[in-house]
Amino acid sequence: MYKSYHKKIVATTLFASVVFLGTACNASNDNNKNVKADTKIEKPSEFNGVPVVWPGETIEEIKPFVGPAKASVSETVKKKYDFNGKLIVDGGVYYPIVNGKTGAYAVNEAAHTTPFNKGKIATTNEQKVWDIDVMPDGTGLPEGSGSVEFGDEVYEEKCLSCHGDFGAGSGLYPRLTVGNAYEMHETLKLQRVAPDSDGPQRAFGSYWPYASTLWWYIKTGMPHQAPMSLTTEEVYGLAAYILHVNEMEIDGVEVDEEYVLDREKFLKIKMPNEDGFEPKINGPKGQDNAREYFNNPVNYGNGVRCMKDCFEGEPKVQKIAFALSNFNPPLSSERTMPEKKEDESSHPGKDAYSASCAVCHATDAMGAPAVGDKSAWEATLKKGLDTVISNTLNGVNGMPPRGGSSLSDDELKQVVDYMISESK
Amino acid sequence: MYFNYNLAHDFRHFQKINQGGTMNKISNVSKEELELVSEVTEQTSRREFFKKTAAYSVSALAAASVIAPVNASASEHIKANPEDDINIMEEKPWSLKFGDDVTVNLYGQPSPYEHNVTRRTTEILSSGNMRASIAVTPIQDLNGIIVPNGLFFNRHHGGTPTIDPNQHRLMIHGLVEKPIVLTMDQLKRYPNVSRIHFLECPANGGPEWRGPQFNSIQFAKGFMSCAEWTGVYIKDILKDLGLKPEAQWMLAEGIDNSHMGRTIPVDKVLDDAMIVWGQNGEALRPEQGYPLRIVVPGWEANLCVKWLNRLEFASEPFYAKEETSKYTALKQTGKAIQHFYANEVNSVVTSPCPEKPWTDLKKGDMVEIEGLAWSGMGTITHVDISFDGGKNWVEAPLKGLILEKAWTRFSLMHEYTGKPMLLSSRAADDAGHVQPTVREERVAVGIEGVYHRNGIHTWAIDAKGEVTNVQILS
Repeated sequence: MYKSYHKKIVATTLFASVVFLGTACNASNDNNKNVKADTKIEKPSEFNGVPVVWPGETIEEIKPFVGPAKASVSETVKKKYDFNGKLIVDGGVYYPIVNGKTGAYAVNEAAHTTPFNKGKIATTNEQKVWDIDVMPDGTGLPEGSGSVEFGDEVYEEKCLSCHGDFGAGSGLYPRLTVGNAYEMHETLKLQRVAPDSDGPQRAFGSYWPYASTLWWYIKTGMPHQAPMSLTTEEVYGLAAYILHVNEMEIDGVEVDEEYVLDREKFLKIKMPNEDGFEPKINGPKGQDNAREYFNNPVNYGNGVRCMKDCFEGEPKVQKIAFALSNFNPPLSSERTMPEKKEDESSHPGKDAYSASCAVCHATDAMGAPAVGDKSAWEATLKKGLDTVISNTLNGVNGMPPRGGSSLSDDELKQVVDYMISESK
Repeated sequence: MYFNYNLAHDFRHFQKINQGGTMNKISNVSKEELELVSEVTEQTSRREFFKKTAAYSVSALAAASVIAPVNASASEHIKANPEDDINIMEEKPWSLKFGDDVTVNLYGQPSPYEHNVTRRTTEILSSGNMRASIAVTPIQDLNGIIVPNGLFFNRHHGGTPTIDPNQHRLMIHGLVEKPIVLTMDQLKRYPNVSRIHFLECPANGGPEWRGPQFNSIQFAKGFMSCAEWTGVYIKDILKDLGLKPEAQWMLAEGIDNSHMGRTIPVDKVLDDAMIVWGQNGEALRPEQGYPLRIVVPGWEANLCVKWLNRLEFASEPFYAKEETSKYTALKQTGKAIQHFYANEVNSVVTSPCPEKPWTDLKKGDMVEIEGLAWSGMGTITHVDISFDGGKNWVEAPLKGLILEKAWTRFSLMHEYTGKPMLLSSRAADDAGHVQPTVREERVAVGIEGVYHRNGIHTWAIDAKGEVTNVQILS
């Protein structure tokens, strides 16, 4: 029964209007961020004398460009074969040490050839405790099992408050499903070229290449406030529940409400987007494939160093349509003294002390009882507070009347109170 | 300017005047006299001094007015002498009383007047809460190529932990002959290396694939910083451990709440990947991974795992969450780039920018256009600047240090015309890569990639000198 409800929620989330044009960092691949931009600006048709293209209109402009990769590749791109006789894995440059220098840096080459052998051998127990990763081939995946039903219980208790009903996400917290994994996988080619067009739907079921990542992440990263707290049975149960809300199958069997997941079944999970990534990094040729891929900028874009008349006509300008400006703290370039917070209110005698009395009383160098010197002030106060005040007003030993200041009686009393309070 | 010397001087002066003497320079007063005098006159205010002087003699008053700092009558004085700067004519409180002791702020702090120069956050860049979010660097307020540690951008996935360095261990295991555990002290016995490198979140500029959204350089480009890192090359430790030939990949993992891991190819580990404990001469800040992080020069900052406790070598990649679910760039083909290592060549004009406009300039003023260029693949070789949205370009000189995989400054002198313009910068590196136009980048990868956006950045400057963030689609 709850399955249809779940579908409804997912659908609502899916087709909600997306104001936010893109996202950042970890937050980024979720398209369901219904965060409204906080200001909306006017849309003039031209700006600085050139036509302005607005997102709604931009779309037609983008469309012809979004197609098979055909980036211009500068002929100046060099292939560097000088690191162990191979291309540099990231498509970049390797800087060898030449005549004791690498680039601008001088190098003590002996420091890099001397053996050090620091540390101790890592024991088997130590390695076992810290080796928490789970790999696609099952390395690190423990024996155990958990049912969808049990996973549902754990989910409601520990996950739902952030990830929403049936994994549909809530607020800025990630979605765990966008619906049927196999159907939603088909959306990955979509580009949001129009304001109302559907984008690619990325979540565990539709996008992730391996389920091992899910098990590893639940075990070591969730719940967010209490990682590493779930039992093996709970993690299997949650993994089963998440497979269920992604409407997935294992070995031809639907992960339904009665499904019980165990290690053997888990290793048979085939994610619909397993082949959706490039370069291919598995197997003994993994690094070679990465080398080849990143040394060909057609794969990710590159420019041309054109200097004159680089395009025809006037530049097409796309302006900010929805300005995001909810910044903390708000932007400011002012150089001002920050306002004092209320709890920072200082003693009324402090400023007068600093201006008039600290020169002698900050240390005992002048023979005066130093502020902060508990025993010196205890000795002074043995004379009684009235005497101390009287000495302050009239002078005592090396100190002139009022310490040479023009402070009033009341101000001096506050100074004395401040000095005593700082010396307890 | 004897006005500013010391109140002791006033006192001496006051005495001399009353004795019918002439003005004394402070050098005429012995040190002993000064100390004695300052003891009793610290509080003497100028106003009081003049009051007394006036009471004593008309001639003294006349003499005093010659040297009188304006103070109370400063505004009157400025009215009569508008060419005088009130900030020179008026005495300032900070020159008339003690400053702070050397005991104050034993770990120094910026001037309180600089309190607006901070990292900033915005809710939309979080993954649900502020313990999985990013605070970005105010690059509009920085000069040179070193970011102060307190302003270094900070992205974490489970909050900033406070780790006891005495209890911290680094384990290196997997496909090595000798798996080991190192304490911080043992690690620091390896010969250290210091290198200046930028770290950039691969989502820097990522919210703007479909168009500009932030009218702020801090949010449009501030997911990055640059620092001098001190630590040890991983290859220097590995040479003692015996890396097995089938080892192709290394997992780097942190011991904070998120236990975040990333896979790094052994090629890079054996080139320039470092384990660092120092940043700009001091220990890493907690939010930068104290006591230990990995720095993978030029590559996605997310690979530079903080609070590092484990390196494991394997023959197959690990497929951690942050290299599958996130930090993969989906192309218009429906395929996504995984293991997208280097941050490609990039640049931005930092002055002017939305936060530092040209609203104070007049036509004919000379002004420096300044900016930052960087490439994770190598060293910056050229930066070009366009005033017409990228139709025509001129080369801008580089300035300062030019280092591989580090921020590099460029600079161009410009005579301000007061006319609107579209100001763009385009960098190139020694790997032969050139920053693409927005259009070229969209052609190559579409608009849903999220990560690794390095299309040419443009500021529109209007007739008033205001600066706004735009994109050129030509």
